[in-house]
Amino acid sequence: MQQSAVLSAQTSRRSYHVGDAVFAALARGSGAFVLVLLGSLILTLFWGGLPAFRQFGPGFIASTDWDPVQQVFGAAVSIYGTLVTSVLALAFAVPVAFGIAFYLTELAPAWLRRPVGTAIELLAAVPSIIYGMWGFFVIVPIMSQYIQPFVIDSLDGIPVLEDLFAGPPFGTGIFTASIILAIMVVPFIAATMRDVFETVPPVYKESAYGVGCTTWEVMRSIVLPYTRVSVVGGIMLGLGRALGETMAVTFVIGNTDRIATSLFGPGNTIASIVALEFPESPAGSLKLSSLLALGFILFVISFIVLAISRLLLKPRLKV
Amino acid sequence: MSEAMSRTQDQQANFGGMHARSNSNLNETRISIRNLDFYYGSNQALKHINLDFPNRQVTGMIGPSGCGKSTLLRVLNRMYDLYPGQRATGEVLIDGENIIDPSVDLNALRARIGMVFQKPTPFPMTIYDNIAFGVKLHEKLSKAEMDERVEWSLTRGALWGEVKDRLNTSAMGLSGGQQQRLCIARTIAVRPEVILLDEPTSALDPISTLKIEELIDELKNDFTIAIVTHNMQQAARCADQVAFFYLGEMVEVAPAGQMFTAPKERRTQEYITGRFG
Amino acid sequence: MSATTTMRTLPGPAKNQAVSRALGRRRYRMNRLVKVLCVAATVLGILLLASILLTLVWRGAAGLSVSVFTQSTRPPGSNGGLLNAIVGTLIQTGIGTLVGTPIGLMVGTYLAEYGRNSAMANAVRFVSDVLLSAPSILIGLFIYQLCVEPFGGFSGIAGCLALAVIVIPIVVRTTEDMLQLIAPSLREAAVALGAPKWKVIVLICYRAAKDGIVTGILLAVARIAGETAPLLFTSLGNLNWSISLAQPMASLPVTIYQYAGSAFEDWVQLAWVGALLITVGVLATNILARVALRGRRAS
Repeated sequence: MQQSAVLSAQTSRRSYHVGDAVFAALARGSGAFVLVLLGSLILTLFWGGLPAFRQFGPGFIASTDWDPVQQVFGAAVSIYGTLVTSVLALAFAVPVAFGIAFYLTELAPAWLRRPVGTAIELLAAVPSIIYGMWGFFVIVPIMSQYIQPFVIDSLDGIPVLEDLFAGPPFGTGIFTASIILAIMVVPFIAATMRDVFETVPPVYKESAYGVGCTTWEVMRSIVLPYTRVSVVGGIMLGLGRALGETMAVTFVIGNTDRIATSLFGPGNTIASIVALEFPESPAGSLKLSSLLALGFILFVISFIVLAISRLLLKPRLKV
Repeated sequence: MSEAMSRTQDQQANFGGMHARSNSNLNETRISIRNLDFYYGSNQALKHINLDFPNRQVTGMIGPSGCGKSTLLRVLNRMYDLYPGQRATGEVLIDGENIIDPSVDLNALRARIGMVFQKPTPFPMTIYDNIAFGVKLHEKLSKAEMDERVEWSLTRGALWGEVKDRLNTSAMGLSGGQQQRLCIARTIAVRPEVILLDEPTSALDPISTLKIEELIDELKNDFTIAIVTHNMQQAARCADQVAFFYLGEMVEVAPAGQMFTAPKERRTQEYITGRFG
Repeated sequence: MSATTTMRTLPGPAKNQAVSRALGRRRYRMNRLVKVLCVAATVLGILLLASILLTLVWRGAAGLSVSVFTQSTRPPGSNGGLLNAIVGTLIQTGIGTLVGTPIGLMVGTYLAEYGRNSAMANAVRFVSDVLLSAPSILIGLFIYQLCVEPFGGFSGIAGCLALAVIVIPIVVRTTEDMLQLIAPSLREAAVALGAPKWKVIVLICYRAAKDGIVTGILLAVARIAGETAPLLFTSLGNLNWSISLAQPMASLPVTIYQYAGSAFEDWVQLAWVGALLITVGVLATNILARVALRGRRAS
């Protein structure tokens, strides 16, 4: 016993100290690394965009100029496009996502839940470039041949609306981009809503059914109020996704550098203009710096949206 | 049968014999607890505990839920060290060393004091690897020596016959009773001096319970055993001495026979007759 | 007290059966309307998925041929294939996963085993979520500034690094979740045998969480295989055959992007083939991962 006690004390003390110390250092170090990673991401974007910020000042954000020849750049067109497409996409996506989530949690028969749920999750897994191609080759012709002419003709003569939906029916444009974005974002919002709806304790719903509520009334008066905050959080998560989407938008948005009054008109988003103009931006140029500045602005917007969504989702879901 | 028996005796002799290894005698005290206090944060869970664990005997610890018996068990192998906010003051003496002292080498301590938990916890690996895991932490054995140790542990854990043909299959495929015996075999394999059992049969069926109680009766020939149980009949069957705990205090300790027929304290009497708990 | 006595003392008019029936009808109509709309929404979602998959198969299968897998990309009209793009995607996805997974694993381990609820751990968790949801084009810009501009050229390794950055937060999330699912008694059993903390984690916890962690890695692979934007600024794409990490490297998504927008019919056809290939790969990996994960959660 004496011999083996000494032996085991020695070996285990050695491995205890060295092994634990090394492993703990690796673990904590990698945690710190992640913090450094994000910090350097923010810094490089800001640093790269600094020449543009210095050159154009705060007016950079409001300026709609984008002139490579004159070397004058402004962010307004891209910011407008980013915000409008994302908000419009949400307007389409939220009701559809809600319908899907409601169906999956309350209406679908048990045997249908998993396959339908998987189908929706697969929609989320499709790469964005596929959405871009499908959008360009399938949706754009449909828009240009059927939907856009129909809308333009129906709204002809109505004061504000006819300008909002005017223009040659190319099929591309902000409206089409919003539709594609909506389709991409629906599965995310639907999945979050479904997870949140499932956290409602059955007793609440049962007590509502007990006084004779219909399924919709239970959803409207019990489930939605109970989950209201988290639902908004999920919507914001979808918004964050839509803001940064590049490939799906680039194919269909038309890519011009003016703000059009019509939603059927072309535009660009921060992500799409960065993708498109990057190849023609020499290193160190003011144009590249403007693109990086745009990237920084996009990051700030996404960061704020993400932070709010996390705050709202935290109490209900383990985020 | 006799060949197996003589082989087991040979193994015991090869290991220097469990008996010769520790120079302790029967009736000596293995563990001595003096003035132990234990705190979960600011809540005191154990008050002024004084208790001796005699060498190679079974000490049973009984009491209603929340009385501190499991807490005391987990002090003995410093398990509470895993959780910040839990602390102990006082003395727990093993061979004159106070194991509560921060300078104690915890890994070596836990090789001397083994623990079996209420829920069987087989590791997600083969049966062989389960046994070898603990041994590899503290000793360097050749393959042949490890094979011998695995066979010895499983034999003493009353499991060898049932698993000797499937040592390389996953331990998760065993039944609940078998898994618990595996955990006991795993604990024995590192050759501890003390084995702590925390309600080892409360998750098992009656037949497995019986097998394990028989096992405990055999194991006490070589190990000092402390068993926490909420089943008084089990304490009466297995233990040599029994300690009764209530609300963090040790109310009474006595030989098993005396505890259940003529307890000295009123609270002990009331618990045993089922007035509360 | 009889029932009739109680009824007579209740205030208000007697129950009007006609009104309550009419109200009920309206409520049921509303309920049915909402149900129909929800089913319609779900059907819409499924139809869209079907449309995407059918379009891919219809347009992509037409261009499938052996030369797709044996020839590299060539100028339009010369019967090129997608070999360099396929290989480039495999290389960059592989190395990106190889680099990002250990880091993600360690961070997840830190969050579950060391930091837990400390201020720093909460900060790391938040930052990991930010990286998870950050637009991937920004990650491309970041790596461009770090690895391309200073070294004067686009390279395959820069593409790998950009993908690795995307992999890290995915693996962090699944690792932390899986490690936290492990029963404390399993950990305690290992500690009770005298195992130091790092051995408990590496030999017991990782083994116990193995299935879930592998699922997380598969999900990460499926995600990065389809990413285009980060590669545009890092590995750029290469119309020739090249497996050198120091040179620009082709990838399926980037090649699809270049071909789809072109005016050449055979290039567009190849773009569809590439789209079909990558979608099949991504969806198959995804389904594999989710099936494995459901099995783990159930057990």
